[in-house]
Amino acid sequence: MIQTDPELFIQGILDGNRRIIAKTITLIESSLKEHQRNAFTVMDKILPHTGKSIRLGITGVPGVGKSTFIENLGVSLAQKGHKVAVLAVDPTSQRSGGSILGDKTRMEKLSAHENAFIRPSPAGETLGGVAAKTREIMLICEAAGFDVILVETVGVGQSETSVAAMVDFFLVLMIAGAGDELQGIKKGILELADGIAINKADGDNLKAVEKAKGDLEIAMHLICPESPTWSTPVMTCSSVIDGGTNNIWEMVLDHNKKFKASGEFKQRRKKQSLEWMWTLVEEGLKQRFKHNEKINKEIPKISQEVKNDKISPSAAAEVLLSYL
Amino acid sequence: MSQMSDMNKWEELAEKQLRGKSLESLTKNTPEGIDVKPLYTAKDLENVEFMNNLPGFEPYVRGPMATMYAGRPWTIRQYAGFSTAKESNAFYRKNLAAGQKGLSVAFDLATHRGYDSDHPRVSGDVGKAGVAIDSVEDMKILFDQIPLDQMSVSMTMNGAVLPILAGYIVAAEEQGVKHEQLMGTIQNDILKEYLTRNTYIYPPTPSMRIISDIIGFCSDNMPKFNTVSISGYHIMEAGADSVLQTAFTLADGLEYVKAALATGLDIDKFAPRLSFFFGIGMNFFMDIAMLRAARFLWSEIMSQFDPKNPKSKMLRTHCQTSGWSLTQQDPYNNVIRTTLECLSAVLGGTQSLHTNSFDEAVGLPTELSARISRNTQILVQEETHICDVIDPLGGSYYIETLTQNIIDEVRKILGEIEELGGMAKAIESGMPKMRIEEVAARRQARIDKGEDVIVGVNKYKIEDEIPLPVREVSEAVRDEQIARLEQTKKDRDNDAVKKALDDITKACESGGNLLEMCLPAVRARATIGEISDAMEKVFTRFVATTQCISGVYAESSDSEIVESLRKRTTDFEKKTGRRPRILLSKMGQDGHDRGVKIIATAYADFGFDVDLGPMFQTPEEAARMAVENDVHVVGVSSLAAGHKALVPQVIAELKNQGASDIKVIVGGIIPPVDYDFLKEAGASEIFGPGTVVTDSANRTLNIIEA
Repeated sequence: MIQTDPELFIQGILDGNRRIIAKTITLIESSLKEHQRNAFTVMDKILPHTGKSIRLGITGVPGVGKSTFIENLGVSLAQKGHKVAVLAVDPTSQRSGGSILGDKTRMEKLSAHENAFIRPSPAGETLGGVAAKTREIMLICEAAGFDVILVETVGVGQSETSVAAMVDFFLVLMIAGAGDELQGIKKGILELADGIAINKADGDNLKAVEKAKGDLEIAMHLICPESPTWSTPVMTCSSVIDGGTNNIWEMVLDHNKKFKASGEFKQRRKKQSLEWMWTLVEEGLKQRFKHNEKINKEIPKISQEVKNDKISPSAAAEVLLSYL
Repeated sequence: MSQMSDMNKWEELAEKQLRGKSLESLTKNTPEGIDVKPLYTAKDLENVEFMNNLPGFEPYVRGPMATMYAGRPWTIRQYAGFSTAKESNAFYRKNLAAGQKGLSVAFDLATHRGYDSDHPRVSGDVGKAGVAIDSVEDMKILFDQIPLDQMSVSMTMNGAVLPILAGYIVAAEEQGVKHEQLMGTIQNDILKEYLTRNTYIYPPTPSMRIISDIIGFCSDNMPKFNTVSISGYHIMEAGADSVLQTAFTLADGLEYVKAALATGLDIDKFAPRLSFFFGIGMNFFMDIAMLRAARFLWSEIMSQFDPKNPKSKMLRTHCQTSGWSLTQQDPYNNVIRTTLECLSAVLGGTQSLHTNSFDEAVGLPTELSARISRNTQILVQEETHICDVIDPLGGSYYIETLTQNIIDEVRKILGEIEELGGMAKAIESGMPKMRIEEVAARRQARIDKGEDVIVGVNKYKIEDEIPLPVREVSEAVRDEQIARLEQTKKDRDNDAVKKALDDITKACESGGNLLEMCLPAVRARATIGEISDAMEKVFTRFVATTQCISGVYAESSDSEIVESLRKRTTDFEKKTGRRPRILLSKMGQDGHDRGVKIIATAYADFGFDVDLGPMFQTPEEAARMAVENDVHVVGVSSLAAGHKALVPQVIAELKNQGASDIKVIVGGIIPPVDYDFLKEAGASEIFGPGTVVTDSANRTLNIIEA
């Protein structure tokens, strides 16, 4: 029952109708041109209603407890009257194209809360594409009145960079005692972080968490903060204790307040919009290149020439690009 | 002529008879990782560690008792319970009169999970898969005219183990029976609940404390009562092969022993009261050897604690024939399956046995089917002369070698678990669950491919089956329970109840034996739900994290069919802009998730986007998740008789939330007589036991595309 009249979608979103919000997200995720065109129309119309939420990106390697963290924080916020949307991306099998989207199994209470909306999405075939859609879904949720958007990313990889580029606060979750304290998190990702939280600070794990905190603080000293008003804090939290993540939310609010006062908040969003435009330009160029008939005709011949050293790779690239 | 040259001659002769095929081609690779050869000889016995063992002596390979069945046959202990305490009581008394020896109580899922019958989360569960118990008033009806000083009572209870055990003790008190006279078994095996059946309430750490408290109380006050029944049965039913079943069960047992020792108990004070519970499947010789190997290994494991009493090292076990091996198709075959499994348990040397009724793949046993299943055992005991000789297979080249093979394989897994820091830590890591699910998915693929034969399901199928009559539990049971619950609450001293409940909460925080603390509350008529809540305040309710394997089903299954399904899902995406998306939901308190996990991993392998719902959803929650995720179809998995209540409810909820276009399909144990009812309620497809997974996927796609 994908309706075709964009007005129906727009009204439904503004009314906060779950069914319509969900259907709009499906429209955005669709790979059909016709659906995408409809999605554009909807996006344009709802744009004035977006922008009023706190956007929080959450990353961390598998096993760090992202979903239980979101359950804990989300329930606490929803109970305070916030409207919380959770967008999560689950990996897709390259072989079958199918995915298992099991995130809500770990967000049992939040998924049943009237103030929450959770939508896991299959990553699909390209990682870049996911983020593209997540950003638009985020805007849909804002227009529907959600004032906290939590974006969960798969773990390690390029998706972090794109998520960091769409949120107001990028949180890196870690755990203590998993051997290497940096747990395969690349230094580049720590540079993107606005805050680091060491999860599972509970029970007999407390000592290890404190030690990890110390180690990480030293490591973070070596990273030069980008903002004059904020240097990335290292916090600890527990997702199994009631209120165990409140301090993390306070950090987000503090950041929000400082960034708004200094004007960095607006600057960052403007910069993100611009970056977003360029991402779309790049993506569009790629698509156009891929679907250009003349180029597709030329590729086998010119590839052969490159292989046989008849033309240099850079000259060949020049030739192909000249057809655009 | 030496034996060696005899062997060469046999090989020559055998290869000649095989006409070109190699002798090696006769070796069967089992899921257990054991290669079973076509012939065993005296030479194979050279590797066996326990030759010349005698029954009643360590390491008990030939049996824990010196005279075994020659002295006294195993106890026929049929597990039953349904509907109200009154109906179950009548059923028990009839069976006892007909030759059954011990009682074994099945509780409904609401009770297991610590909910009273009036709780909104259990609307589809009351009285369905067992008897509903809300307070000691129900308990007293359940044991009415059954003298608890003479009758050994086994209770399958793990989650709400404290209020139930306390209820049994208080019911006995009110019969005038003293604590020390009580005999029987409480399952009280929580670790396997996190692995397979999911009828836990609290997280592992407080749950382990509860177990230690029960062991502590009983070893002081109820010396004839078995405090833990360490259960492999559910592990097998979840898909584990015989090696995995043995390894995980023994590892669970070891964890309980360590927990009890940590509280300062003496090993000989509690270890003799630990009993086991194994599941027996259709691999006839494998499971005979499994029981023998398990006894050897337990004796070996317990030696490290240096017990003085030999009984501390002795594995005594109850067995049950496999429910999973029963088929809905051509169901009378199940009588034969159960008979064979019964023999396997008996030749393996079990101490007590439950044989399943042939109609249990469809629903609760009827009077007729219960009689046949009980008589299966009576016949073996009284007509076949099988009991005359102790361990009649002792000395068989094959059985002894196979026993050794299992011991070797189990030791490897026990080593892995030890490296992870014991079974509790291993469960946390997810290792055992993933291992079981992997074996289960592979096996399903082999069955769907026809490699593992199941008569009536994938070979020798019959047409025009006549549906079996099934026992149905009326939805009115819940009303009856709620009425008695209200009456009980009206008649009691509420201040006394409140004080007793507060004491329990305090003991959870600061210590004290929790079973002892529950007795005054039960005497004051606190309900199962109230007592469970009093503890939940401190312990919290456990939420499982669901992991799911991928790729395994496709790997072991017919690649052509899988490819055609993948093409269908890809074409679907090209046409509609996305992949077919299905929400798999387990509603109510039914925690059997083997089926839903296999479907999840298989459908993802076929190219579906699969949303896996949390355990124990309400219809409203399931519908909302379907709406938010905008799935094409909801797949409801039901194995505990809740379908007639829950399926219409979820369909109504979808409509209510503006999503009547989302289709609903149902899978699991659904009696064919209910198909029409469910279809009329709006279910698009029903997949009963034995459905080939790839077929179900194609039919599901037909529905989505329609």
